[in-house]
Amino acid sequence: MKLFKKTEKEINKYQKAFDELLMVLGKERVLSAIEDRICYSFDATKQKALPDIVVRPGSTTDVSNTLRIANKYEVPIYARGAGSGLTGGAVPLMGGIVFDLKNMDKIIEIRPDDFTATVEPGVVTKQLQDEVAKFDLFYPPDPSSAAFSTIGGNVAECAGGITGLKYGVTRDYILALEIVLPDGSVIKTGGRKLRGVVGYDLTRLFTGSEGTLGIFTKITVKLIPKPEKIRTLAAYFRDRDDAIDAADQIIDNNILPRTLEFLDYMTINAVRSYSGTDIDEDVKALLLVDIDGTDESISYEMPIIENACKGSGAFKTKISETGKERDAIWADRRSISPALYNIAPHKINEDICVPRSKIKEALQRIDRINDQQTIYIANFGHIGDGNIHVNIMYNNDPGQEELAERIVNRVMKEVVALGGSISGEHGIGNKKSQFMEFEIPPREYDIMKRFKNYFDPKGIMNPGKMFIR
Amino acid sequence: MTTDWKTEVNKCSKCGKCQTVCPVFLETGDESTVARGRISLAEALRDKQIVYTDKLRDYVYTCKKCMRCRTVCPSDVDYEVIISALLRGVADEMGIPLLPKIVFRYILPRRILFDLMLKIGSKIQRFIPGKRRGQMRHLPLMFMGKRWIPVLAKKTALKKLRTTRKLKNPKMRVGLFTGCLINYIYVDIAESVVDVLNRMNIEVVIPQGQLCCGTPSSTMGDHKSTKKLAEVNKEVFESQNLDAIVSACATCTKSIKLDYLRTLGPSWQQMSDRIYDISEFIEKYCGDDYKTKPVDEKVTYHDPCHLMWVRGITDEPRNVLKKSADFVDMDMAGSCCGGGGIFTIIHYDLTLKMLERKVNSIERSGADTVATNCPGCIMQIADGFAGKDSKIKTTHSIQILQKALVNGNIDKSV
Ligand SMILES: Cc1cc2nc3c(=O)[nH]c(=O)nc-3n(C[C@H](O)[C@H](O)[C@H](O)COP(=O)(O)OP(=O)(O)OC[C@H]3O[C@@H](n4cnc5c(N)ncnc54)[C@H](O)[C@@H]3O)c2cc1C
Ligand code: SF4
Ligand code: SF4
Repeated sequence: MKLFKKTEKEINKYQKAFDELLMVLGKERVLSAIEDRICYSFDATKQKALPDIVVRPGSTTDVSNTLRIANKYEVPIYARGAGSGLTGGAVPLMGGIVFDLKNMDKIIEIRPDDFTATVEPGVVTKQLQDEVAKFDLFYPPDPSSAAFSTIGGNVAECAGGITGLKYGVTRDYILALEIVLPDGSVIKTGGRKLRGVVGYDLTRLFTGSEGTLGIFTKITVKLIPKPEKIRTLAAYFRDRDDAIDAADQIIDNNILPRTLEFLDYMTINAVRSYSGTDIDEDVKALLLVDIDGTDESISYEMPIIENACKGSGAFKTKISETGKERDAIWADRRSISPALYNIAPHKINEDICVPRSKIKEALQRIDRINDQQTIYIANFGHIGDGNIHVNIMYNNDPGQEELAERIVNRVMKEVVALGGSISGEHGIGNKKSQFMEFEIPPREYDIMKRFKNYFDPKGIMNPGKMFIR
Repeated sequence: MTTDWKTEVNKCSKCGKCQTVCPVFLETGDESTVARGRISLAEALRDKQIVYTDKLRDYVYTCKKCMRCRTVCPSDVDYEVIISALLRGVADEMGIPLLPKIVFRYILPRRILFDLMLKIGSKIQRFIPGKRRGQMRHLPLMFMGKRWIPVLAKKTALKKLRTTRKLKNPKMRVGLFTGCLINYIYVDIAESVVDVLNRMNIEVVIPQGQLCCGTPSSTMGDHKSTKKLAEVNKEVFESQNLDAIVSACATCTKSIKLDYLRTLGPSWQQMSDRIYDISEFIEKYCGDDYKTKPVDEKVTYHDPCHLMWVRGITDEPRNVLKKSADFVDMDMAGSCCGGGGIFTIIHYDLTLKMLERKVNSIERSGADTVATNCPGCIMQIADGFAGKDSKIKTTHSIQILQKALVNGNIDKSV
C-alpha cells in the first residue's frame, strides 16, 4: 500500500496496522487503492483530505476488531455515514482510516407494541421513517438530508429538522446505543424502554459526540403514533418583523405547529431569480406552517394560525387542501439550495440558534455586520425553535472568502452574546471548532475534554474535530 | 452545449443527494459507484492527482448513464458531461479493447458487414446446445450460462420493411429510426410501429442507409466511431424530407435527439426538435383522433431510464396504454431494470439485483403483461421472467396499441 506525506515512523506503524486489518477483515472490507481513498476523502463541506485506507465493516465484530487494531497502532479513525455532514465531521484531516458504516444498514427490529425500533447505523433515515410508517408509527427527526443521511450520522450530530418545534430533535428519540469504544470493547447504554433514570445518561453524552468518543453499531429509537393528516399554510409579509411576530402569535395561541419555517427577502429573491416562483416582488418574508393531527384538530387550529398571520401583517395566505398543493407550497423552500448556488458558487451554511425572543434582534445584528452589503447573506430556517440558517454566499473574487469568514466569526460572537448557540443542528466538526470556546466556558470545555480523554486516551477518534488541540 | 467538464465538477456541492436515486449505489452503498464519487475522481484526474488505471476504468464503467442523478441534483451539475468526459478519457488514455473497437470502427458503420456478422451469430446461436424457452435462448457460454437472451431474427427489420407503404393523402411523413435491437431481434416492434402509424394515416419511411445510433461506442468512449455513425445517420435522415423522426427505443431516441447535439453541434438542432419517442409522437400528433377497442389484458408500464429520467416522458406511454388495455401502474415503475450496455456484462450480479426488484414490482401490480418503450428493457425484463417461468408477458407499448386498434378493427384515423 502506498502512503502519502507520512514520516517513516508513521508509515511503519500504519503499515503494520493495515496488514493486520487486511488479515482480520479480508480484502473486501479494506480498500487502499487511491481511487477508493479519493471517493472517501470529503463530505458536504467540500473539504478534502486523503485517508490512507477505507474500511467498510459489516458487523459489530468488524467494528470492534478495527478499533482495537487502530488503537493499538494509534491510527486516526473517522466514522462516516453518508458523508452529508456540513461541518467536516467525516473528513480524514490527519489521514488514517475512513470507517464507512454505510454497509451496516439492517433494520434489526421494529416493535410496534413497545414503540421502538432498533437499527444498524448505516440505515438511511428516510428508510427508517418509511418502514415504521407501515405500522402507523412515526420517527419524527427529519433533517432535510433524511433521504440520504444515515441514522448513525444523525445521532453523532444530533441532527435536527423541520419538525423540531413540535417533536424535538434526534436526541429526544434515542433510547439506547450499542457503542464500540476505541479499545474495541462494546458497551450498551439505555435500553428498549421508554424510561430509565438509573445513573448518568451516557446515551445523551454520546448523542452529538460527532464520532469523537466511540462508534455506534446499534441504535434503538423511540417511535410515536403517526399523525393522521398534515396541512400547510403559507403566509406572505411585506415586513420581516411582522413574520417573526406572526410566528410568536401562533405559539402564544397555544398552538405548536409541526413546522414553522421562515424565509427572508434575500432567500426569496434567490428563489425568485432561480425558479421564477409566483411570490410577488414586494414580499419581504415568508412563513411556512405545517400542522398535523386529525381533521377536527386541524380545522380548529388552521383558522387561528391564519388569523395570527393576518393580524400580524400578512397580506396573503395560502392553505393546502391536497398533498399536491402542499408540495407546491413547499417547492419554494426546497429550491433554496440550488437557488443560492445560482447567486454565488460558494456557500457557508451556518445553523445558529437563538432564544425565540431574540430572533428579531439576531437578524438585525446580522444586517449590521453585513452593512456594506458586499456579501449576499440569505437567512432562512426553523424559526419556531430559533434555529436560523445564515447562508453566506461568496464568489471567487479576491478577498471574498476571507470576508465571508470574518462575517461568520462576527455572527458567532453576536449569537453567543444573545444567549444563543453556534450550532443548532450541524455540529462542530472542524469547521466550527474555533468558535466552540465562544460558547462553552473554560471549565465546561475542560470537563468535555476529560470525557474525551477518558474514552479515547490515545486520541484516535476523529482527531481535529470539535476540540482544537 | 459547450459545458466544460473541468469546471462543471466544481458545481458539485458534495451533498450526497444523488445517492437517493442511483440504481447502482442503492445496491452497493459504495461511494465509487455514485455520481458524487465519480465527480471526485474526475476532479482528481483534472488536477493530475491520479491517472487512468484499470480500477478507475471499472468505476467509470459502473455508471449506467441513466442520468437519474441529474434529476435530483440540487446544484444542477451536468453529470452527463462529466461521465462522458471520463469515458472518453478512459478510451483515449487506455484504449478500447480490440473486439469492441473492431465492431465500432469497422462493423457498425457498415450495414452489410453487421448483417453478416449477426447472420453468422444467429446460425451459431441455433446450434449452441442451450435450453430454449419461448423466444428466448439460454446461452451456456455467454455470461456464464445464466442469461436468457432472445433469438436473432431471420430477416432484419430494415430488409422486411424496405418498401414504404404509400398512403393516399397522408397527414405526415415520418422516418423510423430502427436501432440495432429492433432491427436484428424485435422486428415485430418495427412492424407494429409502421402498422399503427399507417392506421393513423401517417406514412412511414425507413431509410435503408441508417446505422446504429452510437450508444455502444459512446458508452465506451469511442468518440471517433460515435461521430462517424452520427454523421452517416444525419445524412441519411436529412436527405429524406421528413416531418419527424420516431423511434421505439428509449436509448436510440435519447442518443439521436440529445447526444447528437453534442457530437454534431447546432447543425443538428432543427432535426433534433423533430425527433420523438413513438408514444410521445402519437400523443402529440394523433392523441385525439384514434379509436381503440381495449384488449382484455391487465397491462402495466415500466419507465425506461432514458425516457423518464433523461426526457421526462412518463404520461404519454401511459395515456396510450390506458386507451389500449386495462392499465395498472406498478410501484417503482421508474426504477431501473438493470439492463443496458457494458454495465450488464461487467456487473451481471448487480444487474440481477435490480432486475429482481423490477420483476417483483411487476408481479405485485397483478398485471398479465408489462409494456415499455425500450427494446433493451424488454430484453432485460424478459430475461428476468424467463428465468422464473413466469406467465407475465413482456412487450412494447406500441404492440398493445396495435392489438387494440386491430381489435376494434379500426383502420385510419376517425
Ligand atoms: C442538503 C443537506 C441538508 C441538510 N439538512 C440538515 C438538517 O435539516 N438538519 C441537520 O441537522 N443536518 C442537516 N444536514 C447535515 C447532515 O446531513 C447531518 O449532519 C447528518 O446527520 C449527517 O449524517 P451522515 O450520515 O451523512 O454523516 P456523516 O457526514 O458521514 O458524518 C457526520 C458525523 O457523524 C459521525 N458518525 C457517522 N456515523 C457514525 C457512527 N455510526 N458512530 C459514530 N459516529 C458516526 C462522523 O464521524 C461525523 O463526525 C444537511 C446536509 C445536507 C447536505
Ligand atoms: S446531487 Fe449533485 S451536487 Fe449533490 S453530490 Fe450529487 S452530483 Fe454533487
Ligand atoms: S447516471 Fe445513473 S448510474 Fe450513473 S451515477 Fe447517475 S444515477 Fe448512478
